[in-house]
Amino acid sequence: MFSSFSSFYEKARNKEIVAGLTLISIAVVLNLVFGYFAMFFAFYLSFFKWDYIGEMQFVGLQNFEIVIRDLIRGLHGAPYLLVPFYTGLKNILLYTLIVVPIQTFLAIVLASFANQKIRGQQFFKVSYFLPATTSSVIVALIFIWLFMKNGYINYVLVHVIPGFEPVDWINNKDYLLFAIATVAIWGTSGHFMVSFLAAMQAIPREIYEAAMLDGAGPIRRFFFITIPMLRPMITYVVVMGLIGALQMFDLAWIMAGANGGPGGAGYTVALDIYNEAFTRIRPGVAAAKSWFLFAIIFTTTYLFQKKYGRAMR
Amino acid sequence: MTPKEEERLIRRIWIVITYAVLITFALVYLMPFIRSLVASFMTWAQASAYPPEWVPNPFTLENYQKLFRLDLFPRWIRNTALYAGLIVAGNVLFTSMAGYAFARLKFPGKDVIFSALLSLLMIPMFVTLVPNYIIMYKLGLIDNIFGLALLGIVNVSSIFLMRQYFTSLSNEIFEAARLDGCGPIKAFFYIALPLAKPALGAVAVYQFLGSWNAFIGPLIFLRSPENFTLPVGLSFAFQRSMWTEYTPIIAGSLVASAPTILLFLVLNRYLIRGIVITGGKG
Repeated sequence: MFSSFSSFYEKARNKEIVAGLTLISIAVVLNLVFGYFAMFFAFYLSFFKWDYIGEMQFVGLQNFEIVIRDLIRGLHGAPYLLVPFYTGLKNILLYTLIVVPIQTFLAIVLASFANQKIRGQQFFKVSYFLPATTSSVIVALIFIWLFMKNGYINYVLVHVIPGFEPVDWINNKDYLLFAIATVAIWGTSGHFMVSFLAAMQAIPREIYEAAMLDGAGPIRRFFFITIPMLRPMITYVVVMGLIGALQMFDLAWIMAGANGGPGGAGYTVALDIYNEAFTRIRPGVAAAKSWFLFAIIFTTTYLFQKKYGRAMR
Repeated sequence: MTPKEEERLIRRIWIVITYAVLITFALVYLMPFIRSLVASFMTWAQASAYPPEWVPNPFTLENYQKLFRLDLFPRWIRNTALYAGLIVAGNVLFTSMAGYAFARLKFPGKDVIFSALLSLLMIPMFVTLVPNYIIMYKLGLIDNIFGLALLGIVNVSSIFLMRQYFTSLSNEIFEAARLDGCGPIKAFFYIALPLAKPALGAVAVYQFLGSWNAFIGPLIFLRSPENFTLPVGLSFAFQRSMWTEYTPIIAGSLVASAPTILLFLVLNRYLIRGIVITGGKG
């Protein structure tokens, strides 16, 4: 087969076209199957009731109706077991609201401290980035132990915050989501810090020098030069943060369990899609829910980009 | 105090604050690693003591021995290495081919195809997850590491990174090759690929980290414990409470994260460059 291709290629009048189409073929075929075909199949699937084995049964908009009913019942205060999608959505929005601003803020602050003529910049960069190189599953497993009632985190908090009482982070429904958010912030802020540091080092020095001649101190330089110049990177980091946070799965799976832990406090939309597809065996409902997740991610990132500038290219 | 002395004093205070902040956060980011490293040599009784203890007493290798006594653990390491190897090899080869074609060759539909690939980046993985499970199921590739690798062997962001790199190369060398009668495929293998080492390094490191740490794909597409990768295996061991103590889980976590940490310590320049290329466009 290869030799017949090479003779075809040698004889071809425009080698560039043949070469180009050949070189992209594997990438295109795989993405066509696992990207585009899968996407359209997900759309098709969301109108069917199926158990992976028997006949697919057309049910119209019934799968979407299940999701909307779930949301409406949730808004009327139904218990979390009856409204998994609502519970997951509520949790994930609160989680995103905590994680994205804190991790972005922390990354900018650390990057601007590290972006000075200091010794050991490489050491700090490496230490901050290290959590991002480690699997979120492993990070979560280690943090479960650190978050135990007799664990290290409670020990530190008791000694740092006066009057702090040890909390059972993982088994208390009021604290579980905050514990997961803490782990997420710890795990990703260092990655974004490196992105910000790279963007800061690309800001021309002359701008700072001119500002210093005009008598602007470090804090004014930060707010009037660094932040405006970083705007494209801030948009990029927030959008990436939103996409990651709204799809959070691994940390919740380990720290809360597939059912979301005590009171469903760690349940997420991604966990719910997994459960619909593989526990409740309702792939059609899972597909419908994944379109809801897509709509949420698309609108939030679109609105943010529209307001604060284009992020992707 | 003269103004000059005052300025020097402010500068000195500022440096002290900088170091205080940077060192505090370095401790926050490193502490879980240090604490687990120490605890992995402790008995569970000591690792769970309150207030926390720092010196293993008695010093024990029991946690690591327990892991490797379990036949599954070495298998999980092998599976993860196989999966990561397939993903890295596939991405290095196929995405550099595609990136080169999109950057340097002219063929009909080039821009349309490229933007069609890029728009896939906007689709959350949860949309395609269930259909891909069904495709894999129909192909009989569930519980098969090669089948799982097929899903990640050409990553769109790798194609994007490679294309950016090939676009940035100067035109002259390719012109010279063409004048010497070197065809586009030959030019790829003999000129473009050797020049692309930095970008290939970034793609390889990035994909290695991603596949070594991957969780949701292996969780869904692998079924039997013998075929698990490390993250799935460890979460399985944890949820089944295969050990009454927690210390073997900590030791296992350290073993599982050692390759990525070591790789990062050695190659952090490549990795950070990858981030700058992909993210720095802003």
